[in-house]
Amino acid sequence: MRKSLLYGAVAVALALPASGQEINIVREVDSNNYDPHKSTARSASEVLFMLGDTLVSLEPDMSTITDGLAKEWEVSDDGLTYTFHLKDGIKFCDGREMTAEDVVYSLKRWIDPETNSPVAWRAGEVKDITAPDPKTVKYELKAPFSELLYQLTQSFATVIDKNNVEELGEDFGVTGFNGTGPFCWQEWLPRDRLTMTRHEGYGWGPAFYQNKGPAHMAGITWQIVPEENTRTVALMTNQSQVTQYIPAIALQQIRQAPNLELVRSDAAFWTYFMGFKIDKPSVSDPAVRKALNLAVDQEALARDIMFGEVTPAYSYISENALDWDKTLNDKLLRYDPEEAKRILDEAGWKPGEDGVREKDGVRLAPVAYIQSGSTWQKLAEFVQAELLKVGIGMQIQAFDATVFWGKVATQEFDAFGMSYPYISAGDALNLYFLSQNMPTPNRMNWDDPETDEWLAEGRHATDDATRAAAYAKVLNKVHDAAVWLPLYHEPMTIVQSKELETIVPHNIYGAGLYKGLDLKFRE
Amino acid sequence: MTVTETHGGGTPEPENAAPAARRAWWRSLLADRAAAPAMLLLMAIVLAALFAPLIAPHDPNANSRAIMQPPVWSERGTAEYLLGTDSQGRDILSRALYGTRLTLLIGLVAIGIGGVIGSTLGLLSAMYRRIDPWIMRINDMMLSFPAILLGLALVAVAGPGVLPVIVALGIASIPDCARIARSIGIGVMGQEYIEAGRAVGLSDWAIFRRYLLRNSISSIMIFLSLRFGQIILIGAALSFLGLGARPPTSELGMMAAQGRDTLMFAPHIATIPSVVIFVIVLCANITGDALRDVLDPRLQT
Repeated sequence: MRKSLLYGAVAVALALPASGQEINIVREVDSNNYDPHKSTARSASEVLFMLGDTLVSLEPDMSTITDGLAKEWEVSDDGLTYTFHLKDGIKFCDGREMTAEDVVYSLKRWIDPETNSPVAWRAGEVKDITAPDPKTVKYELKAPFSELLYQLTQSFATVIDKNNVEELGEDFGVTGFNGTGPFCWQEWLPRDRLTMTRHEGYGWGPAFYQNKGPAHMAGITWQIVPEENTRTVALMTNQSQVTQYIPAIALQQIRQAPNLELVRSDAAFWTYFMGFKIDKPSVSDPAVRKALNLAVDQEALARDIMFGEVTPAYSYISENALDWDKTLNDKLLRYDPEEAKRILDEAGWKPGEDGVREKDGVRLAPVAYIQSGSTWQKLAEFVQAELLKVGIGMQIQAFDATVFWGKVATQEFDAFGMSYPYISAGDALNLYFLSQNMPTPNRMNWDDPETDEWLAEGRHATDDATRAAAYAKVLNKVHDAAVWLPLYHEPMTIVQSKELETIVPHNIYGAGLYKGLDLKFRE
Repeated sequence: MTVTETHGGGTPEPENAAPAARRAWWRSLLADRAAAPAMLLLMAIVLAALFAPLIAPHDPNANSRAIMQPPVWSERGTAEYLLGTDSQGRDILSRALYGTRLTLLIGLVAIGIGGVIGSTLGLLSAMYRRIDPWIMRINDMMLSFPAILLGLALVAVAGPGVLPVIVALGIASIPDCARIARSIGIGVMGQEYIEAGRAVGLSDWAIFRRYLLRNSISSIMIFLSLRFGQIILIGAALSFLGLGARPPTSELGMMAAQGRDTLMFAPHIATIPSVVIFVIVLCANITGDALRDVLDPRLQT
């Protein structure tokens, strides 16, 4: 009854467009705002990539940097100065021409302490950003930053319009957004939908897109549909034409649906893991963390809980990501519950009356904070059941998305469940293992001077080999300490209507459609 | 001497009339064609829940690698898992048994808390008319908080768990119960034997215990039995919203919520616990109705 009501409501809500050159994209959650410097949500990036542009872009292979607003760029030999040469004729949605000053304003706002952006670190240690002439941007660093070009492809580096920001004030990215992207902001109804229309004068898309602009689609509606079964039905009944938010359980059925197509890319760097606070009584023992890793059968999890649609993870980043140390492959901890029990016995954790182990009056019952919602509920319960088999009584506490991020910034818990996007080892490691990033996102309290030093070495490296070697040292150290329990790597899976030409899935920050320039109805 | 005389005055003292009335009570209850099966079913469910550790074929929290097995009566079902398994590969029959146990416990404890506190407050305000306005106005304020909202607030403070849910449901039952107890109590307080009791110099406590409580209790119990079904339903709703039992503990409402994701592919996971909730609430309501029919003296005449 409730279901049919829901489907009914969706049918009414989604029935409006889908005619002509307009599509509906359904997704699970909305963002808190669409200001590139004030949201780290994937749902914000998805939209910002279409509304705005960045100096450089990332190809779908997730490693090649290509043109964006800049047609070409030079890096000085010492790795400290980046000079970008802008393309001609770039205009904002309101018709004003974009100049180097706009780029400087946007990037400076990103790192301005007053903006208080949670992602300011991604811009590197900036000395100054200047515009010597209207077509040139000079980006000067205090220390080399090997990640810089990758970071500049992210939505946080989107070029915005100063007038627009000042005019809207607090409402920037809420009631309006003036960008240079292939689509223009039309309207946002929070937790309902966001609509955008084609940017008619657009023609400066990245080289890897066949269509440089304007976009084929006249309009796109991003519709929020929190319930996963409803999203599946919306696709099957053609009320929505594209989505990357289909539950794993439904994918097999989708493959057989005559009107749908499923495209998938394994080069998606999005990993699910549980992290441990290494200074808490139970999980501070490396033996416990090692046993935790051995006790969970990631293969069964990928097969039973995620229906074989994901890759079981034993490493903290995908083994295909830039700078992964291949020598680690043989050392990763794999499922071996007997060994887990042996390690715990040896470390002095003895089973208590109810089967949960104890040592010196400490019960081996770590408290795990997770985000409520079907995915983490399922994952955490699976892990819980697996751990109980070796005598670890993990306790689960789920929090709504609105309080979760605050809760995981505290010191109250022993473990936490998280998933994250990254483009390289450096991106991932600098985010989670820098001591200055405690208590969040370094929620493990991983406070290690050696790690900090190696990470700086990697960031400041000016050649690939030095950088890879520095990050390899960190990878070895954190894997050896078993600070995380990796669960799985999620590939990018996009379900699309066969009315559309086949989409090439992108993976940047988990935004599968990237700029949306290749979205096109078949002729 | 005078005491016995007042007793003999024809006022309905249940204690004296007990043996005859009780027999009639049972007979008419069993004669009720809806109530008898409902009561038997409820009793069976209670017994099954009570002896869950003995009956359950599997550990309710252990995950097998056999996920989403359908129930035995469907094509691919096996006798190993009579009601199938859920998406974690846990035996649904065992989980439902343990879940029923917890659901019933939540209902009973909550109704106990609400019943005792609520009826005490109600009867006190019936007896002492001076404090009546105070108690009843506070009561009115409490009435304006729905149980679900109260549950949400408590969970926000105390964190999710069975205890906050029980407390929320208990508190939410107080005002209704107090209202009923007060109105019954006022009726009893108007009776002549109360005045007689006062006249012979009985203490307030003795009047409260011997006359007021004993004459109101059956009506209050009827109300509570009707309320029990509602409480279970709200408790399950709170668990459905993720506020109740913490995993891996099973609770019927929570089981239904977890099955929701797979409703299109394995409908039994959500349906079975929902049906159990439905049956319990229905049986509790029918039994409560029947009890009222046979016990309420006003309906008998």
